[in-house]
Amino acid sequence: MPHPSPANAVLETLGYALFLRGGDGSLREAGESPQWLRSLWPALEKDGAVLPIEDASPFLENFLIDAEACWQEGGEQRARSGPWVEETGGGERVELEATAMTASGQAVLLIERLGAEFAAKKNVLQKARETVIAHQRLNSEIQKKEILLHCVADEMTATLANIVTSLRLIEAEDNPPRTKVLLGLATRGTEDQQRLISRVLDVFSEEMGTIYGGKMANGNAADFWTALSQSVEMVEGAFADKGVKLTRSIGEKDTLRVPVEASHLERVLTGLLENALERASAGGAVEIAVEDEADSLLCRVTDSAPRMSGEAYDDLFSTFGMPTAGSHASAVRLHFCRIVIESCGGEIGCEPGETSGNSFWIRLPKVVAK
Amino acid sequence: MIQKKVCLLGTSGVGKTSLVAQFVHSMFSEKYLTTVGVKIDKKTVRVGDEDVMLMIWDLAGDDDFQRLQTSYLRGTSGFLLVADGTRAVTLDQVLELKTRVEGSMGSAPFLLALNKADLAPQWEVDEARIAGLAADGWHVIKTSAKAGEQVEDAFTELARRMIAAS
Repeated sequence: MPHPSPANAVLETLGYALFLRGGDGSLREAGESPQWLRSLWPALEKDGAVLPIEDASPFLENFLIDAEACWQEGGEQRARSGPWVEETGGGERVELEATAMTASGQAVLLIERLGAEFAAKKNVLQKARETVIAHQRLNSEIQKKEILLHCVADEMTATLANIVTSLRLIEAEDNPPRTKVLLGLATRGTEDQQRLISRVLDVFSEEMGTIYGGKMANGNAADFWTALSQSVEMVEGAFADKGVKLTRSIGEKDTLRVPVEASHLERVLTGLLENALERASAGGAVEIAVEDEADSLLCRVTDSAPRMSGEAYDDLFSTFGMPTAGSHASAVRLHFCRIVIESCGGEIGCEPGETSGNSFWIRLPKVVAK
Repeated sequence: MIQKKVCLLGTSGVGKTSLVAQFVHSMFSEKYLTTVGVKIDKKTVRVGDEDVMLMIWDLAGDDDFQRLQTSYLRGTSGFLLVADGTRAVTLDQVLELKTRVEGSMGSAPFLLALNKADLAPQWEVDEARIAGLAADGWHVIKTSAKAGEQVEDAFTELARRMIAAS
């Protein structure tokens, strides 16, 4: 077997295959083909074989148009193909790059098998693109949370302002003892709201760990019954004002802890009740039902409003989708509920009520006492 | 047999390579591996009574790190524009890319694949925007390279449009 020339041996070591362009436009290999090239294009078995462009590679066929322009221009012009990938018959991926140039008046095509340097470049690009994607996702999340924060804060601030005004008007009157009790409740509600706004703002400005996926220590888990009782107490007056009957179908048992911060759970339940109240017509009814399941509990708030369309059910909890049913305030409330419930591993949904109306439900995992 | 060159266009990480892998090899990998350069695959689809061999050029994502080489688009019969439905910004980017490509090589049949339909809860491209594109005459298909949803349909519909245009 003849030894390759030193020039050919160097080219092969560097991962290059050299082709010379003939007068008929064919590309004839200079010297012996390296093994990687023969595995790609077996027609190059023989020394000085012609590169079967049309059968070999659509990419190369396309590049040869640029190469031809480069050869016509001559001089020190070079045309580079950029990297591309071919597969051998055995399925091995081979990364290549072609360069067209003129050397000593001869049109030359170099095909390089890309090696470690290219792998390193690819690795850098991989990391850079992963970072860009992560950055885009993070930006998007931050944007959504900022919008949510402002929506929730606005909603609560407006509610608070109404309460404060009402309290001041009532306080100015000569109140019987029962009214004073009610005033006490309302004052507590106001304070709770103020604390909640402050807490939500704190949570968003720091790391949002509690609401968004943070692990909660068992000691901080809320008692569901306490939260429900507080929520019902909070909305009872509004239900009475609108003449909507609030009924409970609850088999109340011992303490039932769920992995949600108490004020958030209270806000979720209040939100569901306010949502039902908003939908219910005067004289209608809303039912709260709680079912104790094996590892979770299911709480349903069913209203007596007309049933929504199927599409509306799908859109109710969509991320900042325009509500197809209910008000904007209602959409914000439900979105807040969804975030809190899903972040603790629970589920939220809405479906037609058994006989009529709409049934909003949450399913929360139970915290098992150790 | 009729042969048509199809180029996949879109920014990085939208799932162009995954769509091709699903369409040609019925494979999907969760791991994101960036494409650097070009990979060409072939697959035959049936359009009416004809078999159409698609030469699918999977091009590296166009972004700040690598710009699309328009010489790769020479002889293209149609484009599959790909955006990631969970990143609305990628739709803006592919629209901008389409304008750039059409400015340099003229128009050709195209279809927009909004990929990652399996990640519906994280979806950012809203229905109103899709309806707006449809109203402008765009054919938009929600695909999932992971689940294989609508992938075959997207390529076949593009082939049908390319045949109709030729």
